[in-house]
Amino acid sequence: MNGDEITTAAERELGELTRDLATTSLAMARRFRAGATLWCVSPTWPHHARHVAVEFVHPVIVGKPALSALIGPAEEPIAGLRASMTRGDLVLAIGDGHDVVTADLMRRAHAWGVETIWIGAGPRPPAGAADHVLWLDDAPGTAAVDGRFILLYHLLWELTHVCLEHRGRLREPAPVCEGEVCITCSDDGQLAEVVSVRDGEAQVRTAEGPRIVDITLVDRAATNDLVLVHAGSAIARVSDEVPA
Amino acid sequence: MRFVDEFRDPAAARRLVRTIDSLVDEDRRYQFMEVCGGHTHTIYRHGIEQLLPDQIELVHGPGCPVCVIPMGRVDDAIHVAEHEGLIFTSFGDMMRVPGSEGDNLLAAKARGADVRMVYSPLDALQVALDEPDREVVFFAVGFETTAPSTAVTLLKAQALGVRNFSVFCNHVTIVPPLRAILESPDLRLDGFIGPGHVSTVIGNRPYRFVPRDYGKPLVTAGFEPLDVLQSIEMLLRQLREGRCEVENQYTRIVRDEGNPQALAILARVFSLRPHFEWRGMGFISQSALQIGEDFATFDAERRYEVPGVRVADPKSCQCGEVLKGVIKPWECKVFGTACTPETPIGTCMVSSEGACAAYYNFGRLRHAAVPDDVTALPVA
Repeated sequence: MNGDEITTAAERELGELTRDLATTSLAMARRFRAGATLWCVSPTWPHHARHVAVEFVHPVIVGKPALSALIGPAEEPIAGLRASMTRGDLVLAIGDGHDVVTADLMRRAHAWGVETIWIGAGPRPPAGAADHVLWLDDAPGTAAVDGRFILLYHLLWELTHVCLEHRGRLREPAPVCEGEVCITCSDDGQLAEVVSVRDGEAQVRTAEGPRIVDITLVDRAATNDLVLVHAGSAIARVSDEVPA
Repeated sequence: MRFVDEFRDPAAARRLVRTIDSLVDEDRRYQFMEVCGGHTHTIYRHGIEQLLPDQIELVHGPGCPVCVIPMGRVDDAIHVAEHEGLIFTSFGDMMRVPGSEGDNLLAAKARGADVRMVYSPLDALQVALDEPDREVVFFAVGFETTAPSTAVTLLKAQALGVRNFSVFCNHVTIVPPLRAILESPDLRLDGFIGPGHVSTVIGNRPYRFVPRDYGKPLVTAGFEPLDVLQSIEMLLRQLREGRCEVENQYTRIVRDEGNPQALAILARVFSLRPHFEWRGMGFISQSALQIGEDFATFDAERRYEVPGVRVADPKSCQCGEVLKGVIKPWECKVFGTACTPETPIGTCMVSSEGACAAYYNFGRLRHAAVPDDVTALPVA
């Protein structure tokens, strides 16, 4: 491989990352406009989580609004965030692609109706592990200390403010189906997290809000299990194995 | 790659598209059928066909539970719904499915029938519990994803001793129509994207006949755009490597053995019908469920007189050809003119999972906007 090829490859990666940053910023701006709180966590590098939250919450640029951002708990972040986050919030995690706590948080957040952002470096997490994956393709330890993570989330913060200035772009796309006739609302699989179990039924949390579902068909469903719901019944348990 | 930005993890989607490009043999064409209506919906909504190389064509299969219901069964449902004092409950989409003469459940409701939309058969049972002096019927449709919920509902109804509840059962199964498609003499398919959620119940084993007897690969897939792209990549890889197997892309939920508990409850409550008519596909043996003898008192077909008249599909409607993948939605003679989501002639235009409605809502303008020769675009 010659120098030109290396340059081309680097440009291609940066180009895609730029695009992902823009997409993520717009998504974050939309959520902030709708009242979201950003929760920041990093089991491996908690100082980065604190830094991101501070960036978003303080109005360092004159005239820009402070955005609601909080630091998630460093210990048992999933349990803490489960209790704190509400539908429509954002969670941003910084961790390498093998971080099983972050991976588990990202998939559960889907059932909580929370949009997920995963910043990291090194081997990528499995495809679709988060809604937005902002990734540097080199050693994670290096990116954590050489300022590139900081650059990445500073850009994210600035671009989110840019997006917030374009109100026309902040409108959420129209829902796919409206009105009372839509089978995808009734026969569409919903990811749900079990909140409590009682007499063959479970109170669950879904992206559309809480509901009661039947759990007769799922063996030994317990609190915090992820299940797939169809037509009011849980028909399968989502694998406990977190992809890594 | 405009639409990839709207996907979950767009970077991963771009990588997958590049891999798919690299796996395609430029000198051949590939036809993959997505069996499930949920996949059809994902494909159109996210513009997946536009991301794929020209050599790959996606054919939309018979997996929309609304689209395959024949007109005669809709007429039967309307007949039951119009019984004096009866409450008829149904999933939303079935309300607009036309029977013969264009009649539907919404029209019956306008004429005075008490037709109510529910999200689950359990909701219908709750209506029966709340109104013990009235008869309540649930219009059960769907594949093995919704059938377990109906079965659970009947078990509950029996345990509670409910007497004013019954089910008009139209549940169908996915394997017999798949076999019927594979038996088609003009079959040109190269592989199948298998239904994800049906497979959570029945598992992957029932599909083994597809590669074994018909030499076609099948990949069970989830419903995110990334899942569909990954399943196409897996199919291409099989073809490239000369393999032909059932593979599972949706490992986060689907097990080879399915859900044994759900299968046991299905076997307890239902039995197979000898024959069932599928819209556009005719009668297919053992392709639908009926309520078993132990639950006969909950069978609306035994409780009420249903006409059971077979109604031929309108001559202008080509839902059958669309469901078999012989033609694309826009190739139907009445697509987008006489048949639209507001005034559907065929069932494929009713459900948002139906190929015609999905294409009408998400694909028709795109299809018109990407001619081979861009200079041929009409001036607005």
